[in-house]
Amino acid sequence: MKINRRNILSLMGMSPALLAGATAEARQDKAKKDKTKGAKGAAVEPKLTVLNPRGIPPPITLIPMAPRLATLDGKTVYLVSDGFPGADAFLNQISIWFKKNMPSVTTVYRLKAGGFADDDPKLNAEIKEKGQAVIMAIGH
Amino acid sequence: MVTIAFKDLAKTNAAKRGMPLQRICFTPHPVWGKTDEQMYAYLEGNDPVNNTPLMPEVISALTKPLTDDEKKSGQVTPPVGAPTFTDTSDNLQQYFLDNGMTDFMPITLPTQEKVDAMLKATSHKADEVVGKMTPAQGAFPPWSYNVQQVAVNAVMAGATPDYFPAILAIASTGISALFSSTNSLVSAAIINGPVRDKLQMNYGIGAMGPFNQANATIGRAWTLMSKNLDGGGIAGETYMGSQGNVINYNNLIIPENEKDSPWPPFHVQKGFKPEESVISFFFGFNITQGQGGKGLGMKPIPHYHEAMSANVGPFASLFGALFILDPLVANGLGDLGFKTKDQIADWLVKNTTVTVKDVKTMLFSGLPRGPEAANLTDDSVIPKWARADAYNFVVCGGQTNPYHQLANMSYRLSVSIDKWA
Repeated sequence: MKINRRNILSLMGMSPALLAGATAEARQDKAKKDKTKGAKGAAVEPKLTVLNPRGIPPPITLIPMAPRLATLDGKTVYLVSDGFPGADAFLNQISIWFKKNMPSVTTVYRLKAGGFADDDPKLNAEIKEKGQAVIMAIGH
Repeated sequence: MVTIAFKDLAKTNAAKRGMPLQRICFTPHPVWGKTDEQMYAYLEGNDPVNNTPLMPEVISALTKPLTDDEKKSGQVTPPVGAPTFTDTSDNLQQYFLDNGMTDFMPITLPTQEKVDAMLKATSHKADEVVGKMTPAQGAFPPWSYNVQQVAVNAVMAGATPDYFPAILAIASTGISALFSSTNSLVSAAIINGPVRDKLQMNYGIGAMGPFNQANATIGRAWTLMSKNLDGGGIAGETYMGSQGNVINYNNLIIPENEKDSPWPPFHVQKGFKPEESVISFFFGFNITQGQGGKGLGMKPIPHYHEAMSANVGPFASLFGALFILDPLVANGLGDLGFKTKDQIADWLVKNTTVTVKDVKTMLFSGLPRGPEAANLTDDSVIPKWARADAYNFVVCGGQTNPYHQLANMSYRLSVSIDKWA
């Protein structure tokens, strides 16, 4: 499988410049500032080699996304809040929107257990058994 | 669905969790505090990121067939760059700055020579794993790091090798000084034991200001480690504090003034011996001065404990209270009969109260739970904090004025510095 490392890196909020090799100069894109390439006879600024201060990130396992539904008609959509203020009221408005615009869709509201980053296996099992889709609200 | 304030966070976090193409729809921010009509208007409007009608986009996200890229599995290791960089001094400074590896102030360039000197200050091997750190527990997978990587950050901060064991002790806890929360939180470290004098730390006049190399650079190293060792400190992605906090530059480093304190030092309270060098960690909101406030009671002897009680009233209950007392205040409290820090804490539990009605108006109110809560009415008076360990005290300052400062912060843990020598 071919993975575009630059795209992955960019998505992780890091500069693709970090892909530069060990022998590459740190700022090839700003080489014009390098006084070693200056006019003939100019003082040569020495170069230093410095160490990378970054830690060691864990490997990332790519997770294939769940298959999509052909249609939402007649399906049950779970509306899940992560517990931040306002998410419950916002999801209630989504429920109202479905009633007005797609009345064949059944919505079920649930508050996820635990903190915003915690898993909720019990709720996941319920959704898997009784629902066909999930809209999760994150933010406040 | 994610509010737009968390756009970058949502995308990068999904990628780090193996779903770089996660279908995310965005609403305006915030939804909190909006009327039903305003929120419904969000649904009838456009996704402000993708600029397409929001609800049709949601329906599409649930029903549009997956692309081949969305079905991919496998494993990738995020690159963090080459082990070394070579260039001129100016270009390297700019490179570190451009790549988010600094606090946006010049650094000491971490040459091998300087890093080697740092490594000689510890008995631990360069490749020994020190710990794991994440910008927010549970939200981001933790990164690991070794002694050398900590040393690189220590050099960058301007620390001398003597400071390295203290910096390693900080790193060993995995506590990020740049915890990613929308609340702009801060971190503090109390330092006790012989290491304070060995490093010539300042616990006297101006102890918490920019007046001492050890105080300043140990704290700065903590911030740099919190950016570089765990991928943290990227505003909008791995740091979400709405306003940020100036304390995050080098954190609250508080060497205790043990010799002028009437009480046992903080680390002894936590079970360490006086001759051990220890660093203790706090975490929470901000710090403020508590002098001259309601309740000080110039009678003519100041009733410091009354001022302390009055000043913590507005604090959020999510965290506790950390009092930083000048020795003049600590000894004044001793003269008032508080022979131990525990006695002050017990007095504060009994005398610092709030009504249920007022608590209900506060964010992170911390209302009591359990059976006793059933009998409370709005007019019931309850302790601000019912547990004495919510109150902590450290003595620090130069005795030029009987001041105290107080932080809305909670104690986390204490670790040995000696272990890292």
